[in-house]
Amino acid sequence: MSKLENKLLIDVGSTYFKLCTKDNVQQHFRDFNKDIYDDLTYKCADIIKNYNKENIHICSSANGGLSTLIIGITNSFSLKYATNIAFNSGINIIDTVLFRDIEKTSIPSDLIDVVIVVGGIDSVSNIFDERLFKFLDGLNYSNIVYVGSEKDSAFLKENIQNLSILPNIINEKLHVEEENLKEYLTNLYQADIMGKEDIKHLYNITSNQIFSTPYIVNKTLPMIDSKFKVADPYILIDIGGATTDIHYSKDLVEENMVTENEYDRLVFKKLGVYKSKESLIFAAKNNEFVYELLAHLKVTENIFEESSEKATRILMQLAIFLVLCKVSAYRKAYVNLKLNALNSIVLTGGITKVLKQEEIEDIVTFFYKKILNSQHNPTIVMDNNYDVWTLGMLEK
Amino acid sequence: MKVVTGVVGNDIHVVANRLIELSLQARGFEVFNLGVNTYLEEFVDAVVETNADILLISSLNGEAEGWCREVKILKAKYGNLLDNVVFMIGGNLVVGTGDASDIIPRFKNYGFDLVFHQIDLNTGLDELEKFMKERN
Repeated sequence: MSKLENKLLIDVGSTYFKLCTKDNVQQHFRDFNKDIYDDLTYKCADIIKNYNKENIHICSSANGGLSTLIIGITNSFSLKYATNIAFNSGINIIDTVLFRDIEKTSIPSDLIDVVIVVGGIDSVSNIFDERLFKFLDGLNYSNIVYVGSEKDSAFLKENIQNLSILPNIINEKLHVEEENLKEYLTNLYQADIMGKEDIKHLYNITSNQIFSTPYIVNKTLPMIDSKFKVADPYILIDIGGATTDIHYSKDLVEENMVTENEYDRLVFKKLGVYKSKESLIFAAKNNEFVYELLAHLKVTENIFEESSEKATRILMQLAIFLVLCKVSAYRKAYVNLKLNALNSIVLTGGITKVLKQEEIEDIVTFFYKKILNSQHNPTIVMDNNYDVWTLGMLEK
Repeated sequence: MKVVTGVVGNDIHVVANRLIELSLQARGFEVFNLGVNTYLEEFVDAVVETNADILLISSLNGEAEGWCREVKILKAKYGNLLDNVVFMIGGNLVVGTGDASDIIPRFKNYGFDLVFHQIDLNTGLDELEKFMKERN
């Protein structure tokens, strides 16, 4: 904790504020009727006043992040690579359009923060045509970036207003090149935070850049051994109020993606225990094993109607089960993790304050038995003191 | 000319895969090697991303039979994107024993232009070059 001397770390989540000083970590439930800054300074004025702006570091996942639409020419390469980079840049809301189906795709009516157009290695030309421009004409977006074949850059620049052009994310060996797009999206995310009414006032108390929380967590992963007994390969699950993040070792994926990062991130944008409670319950009701799980936990589905501490505990247990289902071969998702090769599951976030280790182990055992028909039992590691977050904040 | 190659399905014959890559390069092809354990859709997607002229799938354990029945369906899905691509497959194409005179027409019916069952690599690549020359 020596690096914490004189520093105050603040994490603004969708449900809680967390504050970490050299003495302790405390959390405060947010008042949703108040501006984030007003709420924070009202509840934590006594602590904040002890630190100058240079020593206060803030990260946030409360602004919802950028909404992103990716238009690519194949699922296995352009769309997958761009989606992977977007997730690793801390973006939560990602939709994709396959260019060959673009005429059959309904145009989203919501404002899109950033559109990413991608396709082809640099030696390929004439990939995109009028169909793309027609689709974009109907779309409401703030930023657009092209990261495909350089041979098409000039043509697209001529036809798409305010198009940013970055180096191709697909190199000549069909491997992914993530740095340029990652930097662009991270900067856009920062700019978005600065512009959000709710967040920008936080700069009244800090002179440091406000980072997105997933970005900070991702920075921590290579150093996780310094705080926990974690055996690779592992996954880290952060079940929050609005979303659930999974960070996973790449050894768990059979992928054609070759990158320098050891860990990737995946987010389930409507799986949380407070703000996204309704969609979590919806997902639960659509999983045929959930009723068996509820029976195992000795409750009935009436628990979904309750607002009690017990109901929250059950929801958190369900969230663990659903997340594991979503990344297993049982449900075809963006990635399927080789969960039988998994050695550790690290849990962070509010869940570690509510559930006991045995309760989590019980759910994980149930999952392996029912879904994977396996006796495999990865070790459960609890980040009870939010060390994953503080470690990343101090090292960034 | 550009060639996308790799081993289809749950098949890990890496040595043969590497030999195919080296032989193609020695003959002057630009090679995109997807390696072992590759799904059919990945092959076709790689062809689209690289605008390749040839897709050369190899198989050793015979899984090709199960996977490659879907070639026609995929071709229909991708429309004219694959119109000029030559589909070639070689290696050991079925599980157990089989007669080339049965196997070759069957795989051609799946949508392959060139099919080589238990033929040595150089003979197969000679045939590919001949086919491409005649075609152009």
